[in-house]
Amino acid sequence: MIAKSLRDFRRSLIWWAIGISAFMTMYLGIYPSIRENPDLYGAQALAKFPGALRDLMGGLQDMTSGAGYLQSVVYQLFVPMLFAVCAMLVANRALAQPEEAGTLELVVTLPVARRRLLLERFAAFALGLLAVAVVTLLVTWALAEGVALGVGADRLIAAHIGVYLVGLFFGSLTLAAGAASGRRAPSLALAGVWAVLGYVVVTVGQNVEAVAWLKWISPFHYYAAGRPLYQGLPVGDYLVLAGASAVLVLTAVLAFDRRDVGV
Amino acid sequence: MTAVVRAEGLTKYYGRRRGLEDLTLEIRPGEVFGYLGPNGAGKTTTIRLLLDVIRPTRGHVTVLGAGSREAAVRARIGYLPGELALEGRERARDYLAFLARVRGGVPPARIRALAERLDADLSVPMRKLSKGNKQKVGLIQAFMHEPELLVLDEPTGGLDPLVQQEFLAMVREVRASGRTVLMSSHVLAEVEHVSDRVGIVRAGRLVAVENVAALREKAVRRVELHFDAPVPAEAFAGLPGVRELRVEGAALSCTIDGRPDALVKAAARFTVVHLVSEEPDLEEIFLTYYSEEGRDDDRQEPA
Ligand SMILES: Nc1ncnc2c1ncn2[C@@H]1O[C@H](COP(=O)(O)OP(=O)(O)O)[C@@H](O)[C@H]1O
Ligand SMILES: [Mg+2]
Repeated sequence: MIAKSLRDFRRSLIWWAIGISAFMTMYLGIYPSIRENPDLYGAQALAKFPGALRDLMGGLQDMTSGAGYLQSVVYQLFVPMLFAVCAMLVANRALAQPEEAGTLELVVTLPVARRRLLLERFAAFALGLLAVAVVTLLVTWALAEGVALGVGADRLIAAHIGVYLVGLFFGSLTLAAGAASGRRAPSLALAGVWAVLGYVVVTVGQNVEAVAWLKWISPFHYYAAGRPLYQGLPVGDYLVLAGASAVLVLTAVLAFDRRDVGV
Repeated sequence: MTAVVRAEGLTKYYGRRRGLEDLTLEIRPGEVFGYLGPNGAGKTTTIRLLLDVIRPTRGHVTVLGAGSREAAVRARIGYLPGELALEGRERARDYLAFLARVRGGVPPARIRALAERLDADLSVPMRKLSKGNKQKVGLIQAFMHEPELLVLDEPTGGLDPLVQQEFLAMVREVRASGRTVLMSSHVLAEVEHVSDRVGIVRAGRLVAVENVAALREKAVRRVELHFDAPVPAEAFAGLPGVRELRVEGAALSCTIDGRPDALVKAAARFTVVHLVSEEPDLEEIFLTYYSEEGRDDDRQEPA
């Protein structure tokens, strides 16, 4: 069952791995030229950017050090978002999409209990996303070495685990919404809105008191607050992310187990 | 003998929309049960309830002695969905192999044999299959693990006549091996030649369950008799079950409701040179269940 789902996901997983790797290659590839031109990208130059934009990009304090550059252009916004979107789309393929297409009907009549079916599909999604994470981590590490970024492999791993967990969270959210509703677009919309708002409240919104407290339900808070690229694995925060995913998957199991399929 | 399917008070509402109301039905081991009704009658609803795709609003159903929620029992069921969706780049062969594995294994030779019988090409990606070929793949996956119970929702849709014949032969073989079939259709003609019993649903309710043999007996059939000399019309007047009587010289034509016995005995007093009796049109009696008058007529009839 897991193998079959992975085969179904294979194409899109490969494309995501290629896409994210290409993104990494492009941005890390230009790092040497940025390091050579501190006056263009140095702190003073960056201070000229509008404040809101700087906030949105996580502050942009430091673009010329290896860790600062990597954090600002790769791990701040783009890569976690790419992972989140990849996870949402693949998680939708696990349940809501086949249900809307009608192919799930025959599958639920196989001699496999609903709960097990859902858990196996989740496992396939989680493994698939892990494969994308491992591939892109290796690419990042090779590039970081290649351009002499000066960021240790342990820090890369710490940041990448966070990216994976963010993806896992949004995938689990999409899966839970799909398991409860059986519909693709609303599940995607819910997870998408949660991702955008979640990102905004921990960046632009962190200084706005009215919304700042919302960071507690934003996965990006648990991803970024521990500054994994600078300080290593924030174990507690990551456990919160993993735990939240587990709760979402449990919700998905319970919701799917009691529902009519395909109506 | 325990029933293969036993439904008690099975009811399904989709929100406020009625899908099926208070179905009580037993399907016996080894029979072919034809489940008939026009579109929207509740056939697919019933079948999805049996397979635990949807959950009843009230009532309950056991299949092969187990509650429909028990997953393991579904390895002993073969199911063809009414709206079979097959998609993706995967070849039909690989998908069948996957289904077979989950159901506990099927010899590949059996899948090949079925594909040959139905003339299905399994090397094509499923999204490229025509409707008829999808239906063939659906039939193969339903039959391939030799299940004790086959549940087929409108199985003949999209099949050409030759393949339909082959399919009916496969159903007969299943019955000959003592296994059970439940198949739905909106045309009686599709199932009457293989079914032992038919159940008729209308607007969510089971309105009749009949033996096909008994249904035949009840059926209206046209009869023509030719005599060697003109016969008096009075000799045939008022015979039970005889309608639309026309006597013209030496020829008589009428329709018979039920047994032809009285007519035959009346005709025996004359010399019959030629007799034509059409195959009973079960469709016609089937349709009488769908008009209120038809049902009233039915009740007045002494069984
Ligand atoms: N998913 C659904 N949502 C709402 N109503 C439904 C749904 N499926 C079926 N129905 C209704 O239930 C009734 C029975 O439908 P169905 O079982 O599909 O009939 P059949 O298979 O005999 O054509 C119909 O009135 C239909 O409109
Ligand atoms: Mg139907």
